[in-house]
Amino acid sequence: MKVAWKEIVKFKTRYLILGTIIFLISLLTMTISGLANGLSYDNASLIKDLPEGTFYMQEKSEDQYNLSHLDEKKMNKIREAAPEATFLSIQMGELENGNKNHSVVFVSTTNSSLFPKVEEGEVILNNSIMAEGVNQGDDLTNSLLDNKLTVEDFVDQQKFSHSSIAFINSTDFQKMYRTDTFQIAFVEGDDTPKFDGLTQYSNKDFLNTIPSYNAEQLSLNMIVIFLLVISGMLFGIFFYMINVQKLGTYGILKAVGMKTSALFKMMWIQMIIITFISLILSIGISQLLTLFMPEGMPFLLTIESASIMSLLFLGIGFIGATLSGFQISKVEPIQAINQGGV
Amino acid sequence: METLSINKLVKTFKDGNKEETILKGIDLELSQGEITALIGASGSGKSTLLTVVAGLQKSTKGKIIFEDRELTEMNPTQLRAVRAKRFGFVFQHAHLVQFLTVQEQLQLMVDTAELNWSKKKREEEIKSVLQAVDMWSHKDSYPDNLSGGEKQRVAIARAIIHQPSMLFADEPTASLDSKRSIEVIELLRSLSKERNHTVLMVTHDTDMLKYADRTVIMKDGVISES
Ligand SMILES: Nc1ncnc2c1ncn2[C@@H]1O[C@H](COP(=O)(O)OP(=O)(O)OP(=O)(O)O)[C@@H](O)[C@H]1O
Ligand SMILES: [Mg+2]
Repeated sequence: MKVAWKEIVKFKTRYLILGTIIFLISLLTMTISGLANGLSYDNASLIKDLPEGTFYMQEKSEDQYNLSHLDEKKMNKIREAAPEATFLSIQMGELENGNKNHSVVFVSTTNSSLFPKVEEGEVILNNSIMAEGVNQGDDLTNSLLDNKLTVEDFVDQQKFSHSSIAFINSTDFQKMYRTDTFQIAFVEGDDTPKFDGLTQYSNKDFLNTIPSYNAEQLSLNMIVIFLLVISGMLFGIFFYMINVQKLGTYGILKAVGMKTSALFKMMWIQMIIITFISLILSIGISQLLTLFMPEGMPFLLTIESASIMSLLFLGIGFIGATLSGFQISKVEPIQAINQGGV
Repeated sequence: METLSINKLVKTFKDGNKEETILKGIDLELSQGEITALIGASGSGKSTLLTVVAGLQKSTKGKIIFEDRELTEMNPTQLRAVRAKRFGFVFQHAHLVQFLTVQEQLQLMVDTAELNWSKKKREEEIKSVLQAVDMWSHKDSYPDNLSGGEKQRVAIARAIIHQPSMLFADEPTASLDSKRSIEVIELLRSLSKERNHTVLMVTHDTDMLKYADRTVIMKDGVISES
């Protein structure tokens, strides 16, 4: 430990450069993954906030929830097997307030503790609509609906497909879209029944049926993976270069009887020290960044995902450093002795 | 009583399909506390003998017995342990660790030799060895700030701090001017006598021979007593 630290102190500049690069890369990685996570919430918090369970849609809808119809017969069959099942429908639409249009996603559900309960003629809105000048008690209209919808309440962070959700009663929903069915069934828990003619989805599978969700997450996750790989390679290259310069020293230390494992330990400790400091800084700064992010920028970096990413960085740094450390095990003391040096 | 005995030692180098036998059956006994100087023409195989005996390269044939154990039968891990605990090395160049102070170089050696000394004992030993090589006042200096002779004195301190039984020195004074050479060799001799190290020292310099108890000559792959 002490020897490893002594070297860092003696060759400050070298290690400072490595630390700075790791810091910048990990900060970038955390920011991007915060963005990915934020976007995913912005896209589908309606689904993401649900407990783990199973979604059911008609098989012939081919993964498109708005083509799925669960009629009374199917609903009863599901209720028989899972009495706590919730049924829901989702549809893009608009609400008018005076002469102003607000695009929303209408969601109607059967009675369930998982979603707010809305009476006929009422609407519960995601609170970002408030910023657009809608207040509690306002009467909103929709061209497909004869009656008005009164704003009953606001809820926090309920979004689907990047739009604010408007929870409405199923009677209003069915009037608007001229239907008498629900689209989707949701059953909580991991021991859920199977039904003929219905496809099952885990929460994650269901999220992936939202077209924009998949594309967004895939590209952002690719960037994160690339950054992780790059940082691993950086560790490898950097320690390789440092090790090459130290091969003479390693050879002599081996000659006088130092274990190869002790030399590896020294390198690992250095790698951990550098990565640890860089990560602490980048976690701190990325959290600070959230304070300065413009309103409405979807950014969500929990301590959990930051810690997972930190562990990944440590793991990858470890692999990079270890791979480059194979030179250490190959050093022959005798060569070092013949080469001269300090 | 001999500490180390070498028996019909052969070392052959293979270079592609060319074979060259450098050591052609060496017999040599080193007695406890004795300083043996090894001389011979350049390329005669002095360094080869020293490094084979010290377990830094493999022998081709023959036996090396050290403190009743056969080094030639040992695996690399066992050899490493013998080097760490029982051997000390001084090379032509000091080969100090660049980022450690004089004092820390010795601490590292104490750790390497796996001596479970108390903190107090370790400090005392390091102080006494550094005082013996007259480097105590430089205990916090880095190698970059030391002269060649000073570095070599630190290297000697590092070679003896863990109280080894054998000391191997390959031209320890070759990189120094004659005045410093004499200082270093005198130091090596007095410390070895005081601490009862068995020394095998390769040298080019005939002025150094008077500091040895005996001189052996390497010629044509074999050794003869002078
Ligand atoms: N690894 C090796 N492979 C092939 N040949 C080697 C190897 N090491 C040494 N030799 C050869 O063995 C011979 C003896 O080398 P060695 O270094 O032991 O000589 P030396 O007596 O120490 O010489 P000097 O006084 O110049 O240091 C030389 O001819 C050298 O080329
Ligand atoms: Mg030589």
